[in-house]
Amino acid sequence: MSLAAGPGRGHVAVGQLPEELKLVVDKHVAYIQSLDTRKDELEYHLTEHLRIGGIYWGLTALHLLGHPDALPREGLIDYVLSCLCESGGFGAAPGHDAHILYTGYSVQILTMIDGFGALEERLPDCKQKIARFVASHQQPDGTFAGDEWGEIDTRFLFSALYTLSLLGYLPHQRPSEPPLINLPAATAYIKACQNFDGAFGVSPGAESHSGQVFTCVGALYIAGELDSYLGEEGKDRLGAWLSERQLPSGGLNGRPEKLVDVCYSWWVMSSMAMIGRLHWIDKAKLTAFILQCQDPDEGGMADRPGDMVDVFHTVFGVAGLSLLGYPGLVEVDPAYCMPRHITAQISK
Amino acid sequence: MGKYSEDPKWSDIDPLPTDEGGPNPLAAIAYAEDYEETMSYLRAVMAANELSPRVLELTEDLIDMNPAHYTVWLYRSKCLFHLHSDLHEELEWLNETALQHQKNYQIWHHRLTIVDALGEECDVQGEQEFVARMFEKDAKNYHVWSYRQWLVKRFQLWEKGELEFTEKMLEEDVRNNSAWNHRWYVVNGREAEGVKGVTDPEIREREIKYAEAAIAKAPQNQSPWNYVRGIRKASGTELAALKPLAERYASVERPGTVRSSFALDLLVDILSEESGGKQQAGKALDLLATTYDPIRKNYWAYRKSQLGLGSIETAATA
Ligand SMILES: [Zn+2]
Repeated sequence: MSLAAGPGRGHVAVGQLPEELKLVVDKHVAYIQSLDTRKDELEYHLTEHLRIGGIYWGLTALHLLGHPDALPREGLIDYVLSCLCESGGFGAAPGHDAHILYTGYSVQILTMIDGFGALEERLPDCKQKIARFVASHQQPDGTFAGDEWGEIDTRFLFSALYTLSLLGYLPHQRPSEPPLINLPAATAYIKACQNFDGAFGVSPGAESHSGQVFTCVGALYIAGELDSYLGEEGKDRLGAWLSERQLPSGGLNGRPEKLVDVCYSWWVMSSMAMIGRLHWIDKAKLTAFILQCQDPDEGGMADRPGDMVDVFHTVFGVAGLSLLGYPGLVEVDPAYCMPRHITAQISK
Repeated sequence: MGKYSEDPKWSDIDPLPTDEGGPNPLAAIAYAEDYEETMSYLRAVMAANELSPRVLELTEDLIDMNPAHYTVWLYRSKCLFHLHSDLHEELEWLNETALQHQKNYQIWHHRLTIVDALGEECDVQGEQEFVARMFEKDAKNYHVWSYRQWLVKRFQLWEKGELEFTEKMLEEDVRNNSAWNHRWYVVNGREAEGVKGVTDPEIREREIKYAEAAIAKAPQNQSPWNYVRGIRKASGTELAALKPLAERYASVERPGTVRSSFALDLLVDILSEESGGKQQAGKALDLLATTYDPIRKNYWAYRKSQLGLGSIETAATA
C-alpha cells in the first residue's frame, strides 16, 4: 500500500457551496485501490517502514465506506504473513524488525479479514505467541518499549493494550490464568501523563497533545479504568480542553495555537466519544471542514484544504465522519478505529 | 550499476534484495534504484551481523536518504557501541542531520541514547544551546521539547537557566503553549521528590504574576489562563482569588467590553461558587454561546444545565 502523497489535492469543486458537499464514496474506494499501483514512485519506498500501517489505514477506510472486500483478501493475508518475525511479532514490511506498533496494525488487519485461521497454519497457537511477544515488551514501570531499542511512547502502551484485547489476552479476559502483563502498572503510567490542563502528553510532564490524549484515553478505556479514573469532573475538564481544539473554520487542531488538521478530527473526536462528550463539537461545521479536505475528482483526503491527499488522512477523515453520524457510513469504534460490528465480537 | 556494487570496499558482500514481491500484486515492489541498492547492502550486513566502520558509513548514507526508517537507526547505535566509536563525533553529525530533518523523531531518540551513554562527559550546555537552535526553526517541535525535558531531568538542570530559557521563548511568542508547559515542568517537576513548586506560596505568587503579565500582553491567549487555573488546582487555593484578574478582561454587566473569552469562562466558575451568583454566571454563559465562543455553544449549554439553569438565551448580545 502506497503512502505516497497525492495525486490529487483536497478542494471544493467549482461552483459548489459548502452545504452541498457530499462524501465521494466511490472515488475514495477507487483511490485506495489504486495506491498499490504506485510503486514506481520514490516516496513509496521511503515509506516502506510504515507499509503495514498503510494497509491497515486503507482497509479500515474501505470497511467504514461499506466496501470491505475492495482489496483482495488473499493478497492481504499473504502480505501480513510475510511480515511475521520469528519472535511472534510483525515488522512494517517483509524483512523489517518486529515492532509493537506494526504488530498492532497486523492484528487489526487479521481481525478485520478474519485471517487468524490462515496464520494458525503458519504459526500454531498464533494468538498466544503474538500476545507473548507484546507482553515481553513491558518495562518494570508499566510502559511498553516499541522494539528492542527501548524507545518509550504512550502510543506503544496503547497499541499493546488494544492488541492484547483483540487477541483476548488481557488479564480480565482470562481471569483463571496468570496475567501476561501488569495492567495496573500500565494504567498508573498513563495517569502520570495527565497534565495541569486536564489533557495528556507523551510522557509525564510532556505537553498535552490530542494524539496522545487519544492513546491515553484509549488505553484507560480498554483497561476498563476510564470512568473510575476521570470521574465526571475529570471528563468535563478533559472534554473542555478537547472541545477548545475546534477553530472557527470547523476543523480541529492538536494543541493550542496550532493549525487544524483532518487527522486531529479523529483523535479529538474519538477521545470525546469515549468520555461521552462528543456532542460538544459543532458537528455541522466539522463535517463541512472534513468534506472540503477531500479530492472530489480523484478521491482521497488531505490534512487541510489545498494540500495533497494521502491514505493516512483519508482513513481519519472517514472515521471522523463516521463518528459524526454521516449517512451511509459504517459505525466506527472510537477506541479501536475499526468497525463497531467487528469489535463487538471480542469479549471485553 | 550502483555506488556500492562498484566499490571494491563492498565487493565481498552479496546484496540482499527485498523479498517483498513475487506473484502477489499487493506486495510487488520497484524500489528507486539508489535507495534499494543501499538497502540491499544493509540487509546483507545485518544478516551477517557485521558491526564495522563501513556499516556506520552505510547507515549514514541511508539515514540521509530516509531518516524515518527505524531499523537503520537501531543498527547504527548497535554498531556505534560495539566499536566504542567517538560519541562526540556522532553528536556533531547528528546536529546537521537534525537540522535537515526537523520532523523526524528517531533522531531524538538516538541522540538521547548517545547523550545518556556520555553521561558526565557530555557537554550539557552545548546540548541546551543546540536545542535552542532547533527552536529557532520550529519553536513548538514536540520531540525537541520532550528531549529538553529529558535533559533537565537527566542532568538536574532545574535551576540552571531553564526558567530564564522559558522566559526568553515566551518573550518571542507569548502564545507558545510548549514553552508554557516547559515552565510548568521546570517549576513543578520535582514535587514528587519533595521540592515544592506552586504549593510554595512565594513561588505561586511569582508564577501567577508572570501569567498575569502575559495575559496583559495578549488577553485572548489560552495558555496563561490554563496556567493560572492549573496553579489553583495544584495548590488547592481559592478560585475567588482570581476574580480581580478575570474582571479585568470580562464583565457580565458590560458585555461589550469583554476582551477575553477565557476570562469570561473563568468568571463563570467564580460566580457559580458565590451565593446568588448563579444568574450572573448564566448570563456569562449566554454571552459565550452566542457571541464570544459560539462554535462551542453545546459545551456552554451543558455548563448552564449543570448550574440548574435553563437553555442558552440567544437574546444576550454584546
Ligand atoms: Zn495530520
